[in-house]
Amino acid sequence: MANDFRLPPKPNRTRKRVRNIIIALVLAVIYFWAFSGVIKKIDWSFFGEMGEKFGKVIPRLFDPAWEEFEKVFDLILETIFIAYGGTLIAAVLAVPFGFWAARNMVKSPIWNTLGKWFLILDRTFPELILAILFVISVGPGAFAGMLTIGLTAFGMLGKLYAEVIESIDMKVVEAMEANGANKIQILFYAIFPQVLPEFLSFALYRFEIDIRASTVLGLVGAGGIGTLIVITAANRNWEQLGLIIISIVVVVMIIDFISSKIRKRLV
Amino acid sequence: MITFKDVSLVYPNGTQGLKDINVTINKGEFVVIVGLSGAGKSTFIRSINRMVTPTSGQLLVEDEDILKLEGKSLRKLRTKVGMIFQNYNLVNRSSVIKNTISGRLGHTGTLRSIFNLYSKEDKMKAYDNLKRVNMEEKVYSRADELSGGQQQRVSIARVLTQDPSIILADEPVASLDPPTSHQVMSYLRRVNKEDNITTIVNLHFIDMAMEYADRIIGMRDGEIVFDGPVSEVSDKTFEQIYNRPIRDEDLRGSEENETSEQE
Repeated sequence: MANDFRLPPKPNRTRKRVRNIIIALVLAVIYFWAFSGVIKKIDWSFFGEMGEKFGKVIPRLFDPAWEEFEKVFDLILETIFIAYGGTLIAAVLAVPFGFWAARNMVKSPIWNTLGKWFLILDRTFPELILAILFVISVGPGAFAGMLTIGLTAFGMLGKLYAEVIESIDMKVVEAMEANGANKIQILFYAIFPQVLPEFLSFALYRFEIDIRASTVLGLVGAGGIGTLIVITAANRNWEQLGLIIISIVVVVMIIDFISSKIRKRLV
Repeated sequence: MITFKDVSLVYPNGTQGLKDINVTINKGEFVVIVGLSGAGKSTFIRSINRMVTPTSGQLLVEDEDILKLEGKSLRKLRTKVGMIFQNYNLVNRSSVIKNTISGRLGHTGTLRSIFNLYSKEDKMKAYDNLKRVNMEEKVYSRADELSGGQQQRVSIARVLTQDPSIILADEPVASLDPPTSHQVMSYLRRVNKEDNITTIVNLHFIDMAMEYADRIIGMRDGEIVFDGPVSEVSDKTFEQIYNRPIRDEDLRGSEENETSEQE
């Protein structure tokens, strides 16, 4: 009996198979076209010199100029402050926008979608472009950097906050409504206790990202260590650049470590 | 006193939740509403504090037609009508005392409540009510550290803290095991007798309804198909309400044949 057992016949897959083959062919053609274009433009003589140049630069990177430590340390501190100030602006600003973009907090779907779009719009701005705009409008320096971080981080935080708010237990809200609480009381007693730890956790996570982001902002003059990186690289002062890179790596690692420890305890 | 006069409710999707309900519930009664799920028990209970709004008729709570209430006057009604839920609906991350004192929200100004500036009387009231349900040892525990039965007791304390004249309980024991269910029902019963609070409970367990109710109202398809004191109720009555023979699942079982919950 068991020998006669057969699964029901498979549905005819020919159309699907043909479609997959066509997709694979199209992709192959695109890749071929792209790589053949690139290969034509490569300056092969460059590779010959590459080893030699690396040999000159890399050892000097690993021989950091410790005598510059104080200057570098100050600028890294400034970079951290830029990230901190920017994330703080974003974390606070994102709260009302998070509520605006949360489906379960806004009755009118059109108004709610508008909130979501606003946050998407904010996220489409590249950091460096925004930094250039701020450097022009408020002048070069840390303040421009902080505003940049604030405005770019706020789009992402707003979206994450909105998702947190959408995932809360609305039954608690119902219970508060049923005992006669008004909207603001419901916000403080039913919603905030549910969302604040996660808000904080996301803000910390964003702070980690912002530390890295603010190290490059100086490239366009928005304060922090970036300006020094540009100058050092232009001067081919590889020892100092080595120090900067090592310091950034260490600082980022320490902050990531601490913040992930805190976040684990929060949620 | 609660009076339903020709109350009907049609949901936006066309479902008829309530059909021409006419009933009066007197001060201090312990009423249990029985019926299968979808019979309109929840809709009935939630009409009384306007968590849902009937579409026609009159609903008088202490001689006031509550169907027209809005905003502030609606919130005032809700401070008088406390509600207990199947899933307790506590704030998991908040402490027991904070959950309990949130019963005072309707009586407390917005600013005072935001900054946690409750009067000494309010705090005493919250603590006393926790004592009444034997939860005073867990005052500072987080709500999610408690068992289901304990959470439901906290939610009873929360309701008591709002000084209600009516308590509505929507399937308060449906998520609990038999011994805990009896414990929770006993607390509700005791509060009803001691404070003379009108109590309306939705249940679908026949034996529990018989044990705790003064009066039983049976519902089917949004209509009241039985209304009378417990003494008039027999298994036949339930078969008539449910429109089918009684099954095992309609019974919760008694306290004795289960080991009591470890707490």
